[in-house]
Amino acid sequence: MKKIFTLILAFVSVVSLGQDVEFKGSNFKDDKEGFKTALAEFEAGNEAWELGTQAVFTVKDPEFHYKKALGHYAKAYAFNPKSAELNFKMGSAYANLTNKVKCIPYLETAYSLNPETHHFMEYYMGYACQLQGKFDDAVTHYKKFEAAYKKADRFNKFVKQRYSECSSGKKLMASPVRAWVDNVEILNTEYNDYAPSITMDGEEILFTSDRPNGHTPDENGTYDDDIYGSTMVNGKWQKPAVLKGKINSAVDDICNTMSYSGQKMLMSKLNAAGNYDIYESFLKGATWSEPVLFSKDMASKNNERFGAYDYNDKFIYYAKDKEGGTNGYDIFVTGPEDKKTRSYSLPTRLGEVNSRFNDGPIYLHADGKTMYFCSEGYDSMGGYDIFVSRKEKGVWGKPVNMGYPINTPYDDYFFAITANDKYAYIASNRDGGKGGFDLYKVTFWGPEKDPALTAEDYLLASVAKPIQDPDIMGGVKVTTSANLTVFKGKTIDALTKKAVEAVIEITDNKTGKVVETFTTNSATGKFLLSLNSGGNYGIAVKADGYLFHSENFDIPAGSAYNMVNKTIELKNIKVGSKIALRNVFFDTGKSTIKPESYPELDRLVKLMKDVPGLKIELSGHTDNTGSASGNVTLSQARADAVMNYLAGKGIAKSRMTARGYGSSKPVATNDTAAGRQENRRTEFEITGN
Amino acid sequence: MKKLIFTLFLGASTLVLAQPDDLTPEEIAYRDSIANLNETNAAIEKSQKAYNAGIELFKQENYTGAINKFSESITSDPNFTPAYYNKAIAENQAEKFSEAIKTLDALLAKKPNYAKAYFQRARAYQGMNNFLKAEEDYKTSIDKDPKNPKAYYNYGTLLFLQKNYEDAITQFSKTIELNPDNAYAYNDRGSCYRMLGKYPQAIKDYEEAARKNENLAFVLNNIGTTKTKMKMYDEALKAFNRALSIDPNYYLAYNNRGVTHMKMERYDDAIKDFSEAIKTNGSYSAAYSNRAGAYFKKGEYEKAKKDADKAIQLDPKNADAYVNRGMAREMLRDMEGACEDWNKAKELGSEIGKQYNSLNCSN
Repeated sequence: MKKIFTLILAFVSVVSLGQDVEFKGSNFKDDKEGFKTALAEFEAGNEAWELGTQAVFTVKDPEFHYKKALGHYAKAYAFNPKSAELNFKMGSAYANLTNKVKCIPYLETAYSLNPETHHFMEYYMGYACQLQGKFDDAVTHYKKFEAAYKKADRFNKFVKQRYSECSSGKKLMASPVRAWVDNVEILNTEYNDYAPSITMDGEEILFTSDRPNGHTPDENGTYDDDIYGSTMVNGKWQKPAVLKGKINSAVDDICNTMSYSGQKMLMSKLNAAGNYDIYESFLKGATWSEPVLFSKDMASKNNERFGAYDYNDKFIYYAKDKEGGTNGYDIFVTGPEDKKTRSYSLPTRLGEVNSRFNDGPIYLHADGKTMYFCSEGYDSMGGYDIFVSRKEKGVWGKPVNMGYPINTPYDDYFFAITANDKYAYIASNRDGGKGGFDLYKVTFWGPEKDPALTAEDYLLASVAKPIQDPDIMGGVKVTTSANLTVFKGKTIDALTKKAVEAVIEITDNKTGKVVETFTTNSATGKFLLSLNSGGNYGIAVKADGYLFHSENFDIPAGSAYNMVNKTIELKNIKVGSKIALRNVFFDTGKSTIKPESYPELDRLVKLMKDVPGLKIELSGHTDNTGSASGNVTLSQARADAVMNYLAGKGIAKSRMTARGYGSSKPVATNDTAAGRQENRRTEFEITGN
Repeated sequence: MKKLIFTLFLGASTLVLAQPDDLTPEEIAYRDSIANLNETNAAIEKSQKAYNAGIELFKQENYTGAINKFSESITSDPNFTPAYYNKAIAENQAEKFSEAIKTLDALLAKKPNYAKAYFQRARAYQGMNNFLKAEEDYKTSIDKDPKNPKAYYNYGTLLFLQKNYEDAITQFSKTIELNPDNAYAYNDRGSCYRMLGKYPQAIKDYEEAARKNENLAFVLNNIGTTKTKMKMYDEALKAFNRALSIDPNYYLAYNNRGVTHMKMERYDDAIKDFSEAIKTNGSYSAAYSNRAGAYFKKGEYEKAKKDADKAIQLDPKNADAYVNRGMAREMLRDMEGACEDWNKAKELGSEIGKQYNSLNCSN
């Protein structure tokens, strides 16, 4: 009974929808004015739509034209939603924009109104089916299109690719890969959020978004791209913020990849001539520097984008198009000729990983032998898919599709993976997102896990207790990063625990060669790099005004992923540096040290013992309340008390002096309670080392 | 105290009795010696009665009662060494090992060459996990009585528990030499071979044990688990079936047959067996943990988690249960919980827990 109802209903709706109402004056005799306005919008839309379609044919970005067309079409549609042609054109425009999912209802309506409305109707109907994973239906439509489309242009190339996509889509969706793909909601908006890039430990993310940013949008209402960042706290991404520094401008600033350590990034932005170039920006403390260009071979008249650092920070991979070319972007690699002048050699096209469609973005794994790249070609299941290629004997191997649900018939691109291969971030405009491109987190399940089984036996007849004879563990599949250890840490002041910018040199003790030299972040003191496992390394840390620090450590070889986390405490020895001991407390009005001061004083004792040449002046300071002479006496007594404490711990009195300055050296105003608190302090100054 | 008063009273009464009579010193001496003899005989009789009562209680497995009776026997006659020996055995049975050691120390002070006393003291030390002392005593016992198969056998088990399988084999072989019908010795030697990975030799010994005594379900179970290790699953299943025909309540055999089914990827059969083991022994943590593994393999993660929860509740130190619950939690999208579990398993010494933790639990 229910079915009959549905049938009747379907019939009714087909009848009501089934009437193609063309943009003809005779169809709108009652509203000539309205028709005139709507027709003007329709025609203006058609003009932009044609330009967009031309861009599609030459594998160029049709976004601007199609968006413009849609702006006009929306007004025409409000007047007449029943035109097959209008529905078709709106659908085909959406199909080529980032909000692809919106194309489906328009194309389906157009097809039901008049399947012959346009010679591309069957093609786009096929595409709408493909997006929904209805690959067999898609192929039927594509075949109809191919049979009717007799033009000897290059569009056949696209149709062939669609067949291939449907075929691989069927295969890939039938055997999903072992991964979850989750929308990272806190980072996403209804606008395009894409180009994720992470540090190797997965705790910092950068991405690009065209969300409203206070700049002036273009005539389509689209804002320019800016780069945003977020930090992971307790496993959760925090609300993203636009990057600090001069990195973002009023034109598109698109993050490509961050270095593994997160201290620099490659980005692309539009130059004055209107094409994309690759720039580099550096993190200084908490701010990103103004982006700088590379030499002319990397900043040609063509578009260059999607720059990626190689594992050894030597080569740069990127995607470049060719003026007048029809194969879109191809992947190239270039090496430095002179790093200081940022001069890079003429790039080489990578034959192994380039298709006849757009290729790139690129991401190189820190293991130096795995490349993830995105392509609209190969066995993509539609739009951009993410592929992996592994280097063997110096040659990049055949690209392998990362599989469903990482890839879908929509655009899935960009890729950044954590060092342990457990999590990756991608951008996708698949159905179910917040709109446009969204950022997704991929969680890899890894090789299928086996449960731990317990078998117990009475192995000894006389022992009334079952004994376990556990099976020896089977081997695990060694991941590609198995020989890598992530070495992270921070350099801090031993006494104040504040971040210190330091230069670190890491030597492989086996070869005696310096493997890494880098500067830790001035704002956080953090550093992050990867080292080969199974080695013994020397680490030398230098920072201005601090005692040279050196130590030796092993990075054990292991079948599994390793992470070594090290906090390097540096000892301040600069003559003249003054350090306030904020955690030293006295009884009110007295010079008796409270026990809660001991940890801080003991750190000072340790510093004095570690640096035997260090000489200090201990000084007591008060606020300006009370009599001046009384304050001097009290502060002197307190400085003496601290000195006596240190002497009691074995520090020679010849290395210390104690002075009470009373209120004569305030560091803050005495007019407020907070200021007075700042002023009441014990300090030490380094007088010799 | 009661005893002292009684003796004093006895002395006083002798004095009272002596006063009115006019006896010669010889007569007095004679009379006293008779009185002494009577007293001694009475004490011995009392001691023996208590000793026999102790044996009766021991036979009824009333070890505490037996210990009391043997103590009474010793008090009445401190030279009656069999009472010491039996008391020690009863103490060993009651797992009062330190008391057994005290009793045997006293016995050995009286009879330093008593081989069986060394053997019993070795048992007591073994019970206290003082393997070093136990080993010394077994060796002394064997030295003093090289024909006692039991000493070799127990020494063998001690070596086995210390994972010294090669030397344990020597001891079990000696036991078999002295007592060729000892099925236990064959079983235990088989277990030594098994722990050394010499499965065909293990099977040979287990089968010999089964021939010597057809009613030992655990021997058949051992054959089953060894054949599973040899990947001879069908034969393993047959052995478990035989074990269960001897003892239909043998939950270990159900559990182990389940494990074999798991290896054969017959998850439904495995679930049936683990459920049977649980039915027979509702507090058997391993079977719950294993059933969690089977449900996991079937993709029934909620059920897997529930079973692993139960396994952990029954035995909070079951490392395998934490591994399995971690796996279920991961698939239920509780990565934090999964990592907590794998970390716990790692702390409990699980190698697989350590691996899962290191591969999955950092960014």
